[in-house]
Amino acid sequence: MLARRGLFNAPVPFLDLRMDLRLGVDIGGTFTDFALLDPQRGTVALHKRLTTPHAPERAVIDGALALLAEQGAGLDAVDLLVHGTTLITNATIERRGARTGFLVTRGFRDVIDIGREQRYDLFDLRLRFPEPLVPPALRREIPERVLGSGTVELALDEDAVLAAVQELVEHEGIEALAVGLLHSYAHPAHERRIRALVQSAFPQLPVSLSGEVCPFMREYERWTTTIVNAYTQPLADRYLGALESGLAQAGFRGRLLVMTANGGSATPETARRFPVRLIESGPAAGALMCAWLGRQGGLPRDLLSFDLGGTTAKGALVRAGEPLRRFELEVARVHAFKRGSGLPLKIPVIDMIEIGSGGGSIATLDRRDLIAVGPRSAGAAPGPACYGLGGDQATLTDANLVLGFLDPGFFLGGRMRLDPAAAQRALEARIGRPLGLDAARAAWGIHETANEDVARAFRVHAAERGFDYRSCGMVAFGGGGPVHAMRIARKLRVPRVILPAGAGVMSAIGLLVSPLRFDVVRSDRVQLDGLAPDGLAARFAALETEAAAPLLGAGLGRSAIATGRALDLRYRGQGYEIEVSLPPGDPAELLAGIPALFDRAYRRIFGITFPGQPLEIVNWKASATGPSPALDTARLAVTAPPRPPGATAGKGERPVYDPAAGAYRPVRVLDRYALGPGESVHGPALIEENESTCVLGEGDIAVPDVHGNLVVTIGGGA
Amino acid sequence: MSFDPVELGILWDRVVSIADEIVSALVTTSFSTMVRESGDLSCMLFNGDGASLAQGNFSVPSFTGTGPPTLRHMLRRIPPDALEPGDVVITNDPWMGTGHLWDINVMRPVFRKGRLVAFTLSVTHLPDIGGGGYASTGTEVYAEGLRIPIRKLMRRGALDEDLMEMILANVRLPEMVRGDILANIACNEVGGRLISEFMDEQGLDDLGPLSRAIIGRTEAAMRERIAALPDGTWRNSVPVEGIDAPIGLSCAVTIRGSDVAIDFTGTTPALTRAINVPLCYTRAFCNYAVKVLTIPELPNNEGAANPISLSAPEGCILNAVHPSPTAGRHVIGHFVAPLIFGALAPVLPAQVQADSGMLSQLSVRGETREGRGFSSLFFAAGGFGALRGTDGRDATPGPSNMIGSPIEIWEDATGMTVLHKRLLPDSGGAGEWRGGNGQEIALRNDTGRPMDAAVFSSRTEYPAQGLDGGRPGALRDTLINGAPVHAKGRYMLAPGDVVTTREAGGGGHGDPARRGLEQLLRDARDGRITVEGALRDFGVVVDPGMTRAHRRRT
Repeated sequence: MLARRGLFNAPVPFLDLRMDLRLGVDIGGTFTDFALLDPQRGTVALHKRLTTPHAPERAVIDGALALLAEQGAGLDAVDLLVHGTTLITNATIERRGARTGFLVTRGFRDVIDIGREQRYDLFDLRLRFPEPLVPPALRREIPERVLGSGTVELALDEDAVLAAVQELVEHEGIEALAVGLLHSYAHPAHERRIRALVQSAFPQLPVSLSGEVCPFMREYERWTTTIVNAYTQPLADRYLGALESGLAQAGFRGRLLVMTANGGSATPETARRFPVRLIESGPAAGALMCAWLGRQGGLPRDLLSFDLGGTTAKGALVRAGEPLRRFELEVARVHAFKRGSGLPLKIPVIDMIEIGSGGGSIATLDRRDLIAVGPRSAGAAPGPACYGLGGDQATLTDANLVLGFLDPGFFLGGRMRLDPAAAQRALEARIGRPLGLDAARAAWGIHETANEDVARAFRVHAAERGFDYRSCGMVAFGGGGPVHAMRIARKLRVPRVILPAGAGVMSAIGLLVSPLRFDVVRSDRVQLDGLAPDGLAARFAALETEAAAPLLGAGLGRSAIATGRALDLRYRGQGYEIEVSLPPGDPAELLAGIPALFDRAYRRIFGITFPGQPLEIVNWKASATGPSPALDTARLAVTAPPRPPGATAGKGERPVYDPAAGAYRPVRVLDRYALGPGESVHGPALIEENESTCVLGEGDIAVPDVHGNLVVTIGGGA
Repeated sequence: MSFDPVELGILWDRVVSIADEIVSALVTTSFSTMVRESGDLSCMLFNGDGASLAQGNFSVPSFTGTGPPTLRHMLRRIPPDALEPGDVVITNDPWMGTGHLWDINVMRPVFRKGRLVAFTLSVTHLPDIGGGGYASTGTEVYAEGLRIPIRKLMRRGALDEDLMEMILANVRLPEMVRGDILANIACNEVGGRLISEFMDEQGLDDLGPLSRAIIGRTEAAMRERIAALPDGTWRNSVPVEGIDAPIGLSCAVTIRGSDVAIDFTGTTPALTRAINVPLCYTRAFCNYAVKVLTIPELPNNEGAANPISLSAPEGCILNAVHPSPTAGRHVIGHFVAPLIFGALAPVLPAQVQADSGMLSQLSVRGETREGRGFSSLFFAAGGFGALRGTDGRDATPGPSNMIGSPIEIWEDATGMTVLHKRLLPDSGGAGEWRGGNGQEIALRNDTGRPMDAAVFSSRTEYPAQGLDGGRPGALRDTLINGAPVHAKGRYMLAPGDVVTTREAGGGGHGDPARRGLEQLLRDARDGRITVEGALRDFGVVVDPGMTRAHRRRT
C-alpha cells in the first residue's frame, strides 16, 4: 500500500493501477495466450490462439483485437500491455540470431571455445558441447590488457579496434558486435572506449559490452552472456519495432512493457539494450503468478510452483511471497537435462527448476531395464499414441489415459478425442511386455516415475537453497500439473496444493502482476572487516542509481521505486558465496549486522557455520522495483455457464487404477466449473476442467475458494 | 523382499540423488580451490554391510573407485560394533585412501532406530598436508607430509580437538584445512539425515535388499556386455616419460566368460620420486576403463567393480608399496585407462577412444602482493582423444575430470598474470576423426616475490597415440622463460618469470585420407588446422581463402 501511495505522489504519474485496463500477452511455442484485466469491473477475460511463428506480432495484434471486441472495446481502451515472448530463447536455441562479431583481449580468442574444460558426463566419451554463437572467423583480438588491480598493463590500441571492426563489417557483414575484455567487470574503461570508437565510425552497429551486460568475474560466462545479447539484439529490435508500429496502427495508445526473466517487466528500450534478459521469461511469469497467489490471503507464503506442460515440467520456489531469484541460467543445452551441456548465462532470473517430463515425454527402458520418462518428447506431431496421429511411443499422457485419469471424450474440454486402445498397445509393446507387466502396471510405472522425477528435482533444488518445503504449499498448473500434483505433494510432505483458475494461461495472467523491475550486479571482492560504512553506502548508491535508471526513464517517480539490496558473501577462502538480502534502511548502519545475517543464511543451507572465519563480499546486487500491479479486486472470469438451480457437479464415475490393489476401481468424476465456493470434494475423485483433470487420492479434500482456485488438503497421514 | 521394476527404478534414482545432494553440500562449503573450481572430490553411499550403492554424478573417477576399499579398511580397523551414532572416521593413508596424502577420506556411519544401516564417505583434496609440499620430488612418503591413520575424528558428535590440533600443527594454511575437514563432516551429516528420511518414507528397515537389487542388476548388465566379447587375452604396453628414464606400463587383459582379469606384469618398478601409484588407485582406473567401455549409462556402484579382478607385481610402479612417495600418483595412474583402452581396441573398435592429451597441473605456493599466503593448483587440459565417428574435443580433460581455472579467478587468487590462453592448431592427431587440440597458456609471476611452482605432467616424449590409422597428437612442453623444463620438476619462479605450458593434443581415429574435404575446410576456417597442416597431415591442399580444397595427387 505504501508503494502505491508513493506512486500517486509521483511527479510524473506512470499508470493508475487501480483503474487501468491491462492486457497480458504471452507467446508460447504453440499458443499465444491473452489475459485482459478490467479492474473497474473486477474481471479477467481470457483468450488463446495459435502462434504465428513467422510474424509473431500478428497473433498478438489479432488476438488482442478479438479479445477486446468480445468485451465491446477497442485497443485504444487498453492502458497497459505487458508482453512475454519466447522469441529470444528460440532464436538462441535455433541459432537464428544476427551475424555477430566479437572483440576480445589479445591472447584470449579461444576462451569461448575452451569453456570450463570439464566433461559434464564422466562416462560418455562422445559427449558434445554447444558451439559458441560467434565462429572463430568473426572474432578479433585487440591489443590491450588491464589487470585485476586496475593497472593498465597494455594501453588500448585504438587503430586496431577500428581496423578490426571495419573488416568485420565490410568483409564479414556482421550485424552486431560483442566486446569482452579481461577484468572489465571492475574496470570498464577500455570497453567503453571501444564502444565510443565504434559508434562514431559505425553508428548503425549495435555494441554489447561485457562489463555492462554482465559485470561478473569469470570471463567465459561473462563473454558468453554478452555474445548472446549481441546475437539477439537486431532481432529484438526488429520485432519490437514491428510490434510497436503494428499495435499503433491497430489503435493502441497505451504503454508497452516486456517481460524479463527476473519476473519483472522492462520498457522496450531496456529490452532492446539487454535482450538476453528476456530469455526464459515465459516460465518466469508463471512463477510470478504463483508468488502473487501466495501473497493473497489464506494461502501459505512459501510455495512450490509446479508447471507440467506438453513438453517439459518446470518448478520454482517462492519464499515469503517472492520467487527465489539467481544470476545464472543455462540455455541451448545439447543434452536436455544435463547441467553443463549448455551456454551459461549470467542474467537475473527467477530460479527455475528444469524437471524434464511433460505430457508428451516418451517412456523408454534405460540401460538398467527400468522405466525412464523423457527427455525425448513426442511433441505435438505425431504426439502421444492416444492422439491417433501415428505416434506409437508410450508417453506420459498415454499412461495417464490408461490409468483412467483422463477422459478420452473430454480432452481439452472435448475438443480432441483420445484413443485408449492405441495408448494401451503402445504401453504394452514398449514397456509392459519387456518388463513382464500388464499395461496398467506399466502405465502406473510411468506415472509414478514422472512423479518421482519431479519430487527429486524439487528436493535437490530446495536443499541447495536451504528451502524447507515440508510446510509450504504447492501451486500446480499446466495441462498435467493437476494430474500429478497431489501425489508429488504427498511425497514431499507438502500439506496443501492450490490449483488456480485459468491454469492453462497462467503465464499470461502472471504478466498482469509483473512490476517494472531492473536488477544489477557487480563483482567487487571486498573484505568485510576492512570495509568502512561510507564505502558500503557509496557502492550501493552507485548500484541503486544504475538499477533505478531504466524505471525513471519509463516515467516512474523516484518515490514509487522500491530498492532491494543484497550481497553475495562467503567465508574468506571459500569459493561459493551465498546471497544475503539486506533489510531496508541506511546501508551503512547495517554493516555491523551483516555477519549475523550471513550466519543465519549459511546455517539454513548447510547446517553449520565457521565462527571466527572472516567474511568477504564477492558480488553487490541492487534491484529497483516499481509498484506491483494489484489484482486484489479482480476475480477471474469463469468460462462455464452458471449452474442451473438444483444441478450438481457430478459427472458420474469411471474406473481408475489403484496401485495398492493392482486393479481398477470406480471413482467419482466432477465438473470443476459446476462446483460452488466452499463445496468440498473428498478423494478419491477426479475433478475435470477444460485443460486438465485434478486427480484426488484417498484422503485428499478439495475446496474451491472465492477466487476460483481449488485448494486441496493432502490427506493420508502425509 | 523384492522389488518390481517400477519400485526399483524409483528407489535407485532416489539413492543416487542423495549422493548428489551430499556432493552439492560439500562443494559449496569447501575452502580448497581444488574442490570448488576443479571438482576434485567424491561422495559415496554404502549399505550397512559396506557395499557401495551410489556415488555423486560429478565425482572424479579415481575417487569413486577407491572409496569402497577405503571403507573396508576403515571397518577392519574400527569394526562396526565399535561405531556409535555421531562418530566420524578419517584417514589420508595413500594405500587405504586414494593413493596420496592430500586427499582426506571422511566416513560417517548412519544409525536409525539404534541400528547401523548405512555409511557415507566423502573425499576431497586438501589445500596442504605439510611436509615437502605438493610435488613429485619427495623420495619417501615420510617426507611428503602428515599421514593420518584411520582414526575417529568425532566420537558421538564431539570433535576430537586433540587430533584436529595435531593435524593443523602440521600443515600450512591451517584455517583452510580445518574448514575443509569440517565441510566434509557437514556433508556427511546431511547425507545421514537424507538416508534416514528416505528409509522412513519408504518404510525400509534395512538397505540390504535394495542394495542387492541395485548391485545385482548393475553387475548383470556389465557381465552381459563382457560375455558378448570373445574370450582371450589382449596385451598393450606404453612408454611414459619418467624422471631419468622412460617408464614402461604393460597390461594383459583377459576376458573369460563374463569376467575381466587385468594383469600388469612387465611394468617398471617403483621409483624414489613421487609418481608411484598405490594399487588402490590403479584399481580405480581399471574399474573406470571397463565401465566406460561396457555400461557407461548405468549409475556407478559396487556391481560395476565385481566382474573385474587385477594383479600387479608388488613393488612395480602400479603397485607401489610403503614407503614409496606417491604425491604425483595420478601422473602415471591416469595412463591406466588408455593402457586398457589400447589393449581392448581390437575387441571393441567402436567404443575405444584414441589416447587423450591428458591434463597438466601446476601447483604454486607463495604470497600475493598484499602478503596473503596461497597454495593453488592450476589445471590445463590437452586435447580429448577421437572415437570412431566423433572428433576429440579441444582442451578437454581425460580420463580425469578437473575443471580448468578461470583466468580472472586465478589472477585474483594468486597474483599471477595469464598472458595468453589459446588453442594450438594442428596439435590434435590427424585422422578421419581428429584428435582434440591442445592449448598454450602462459603465466607470469606478478606477486613481486619468489614463488614455488611444481609441475605434474606427461606426454612430453610419448604422444597420445591414434587408433585405426589415426595419427598421434602433438607433445606437451613446459617452459620457463622460454626454456623447456622437466615436466615433473619443481622450480622457484622469480618475480617476472613466465611459465608456459603447451598442452598435448589428443590422438586421431581412422585414416586421415578419409576425412571429408568439407570437414577440413571448416577446420581450417575455424583455425583448428592450418593450411600447412592440412597438406602435411591430411594430404589436402586448401587454398589460402579457405573456400576450396582438393586432395594432393600422389
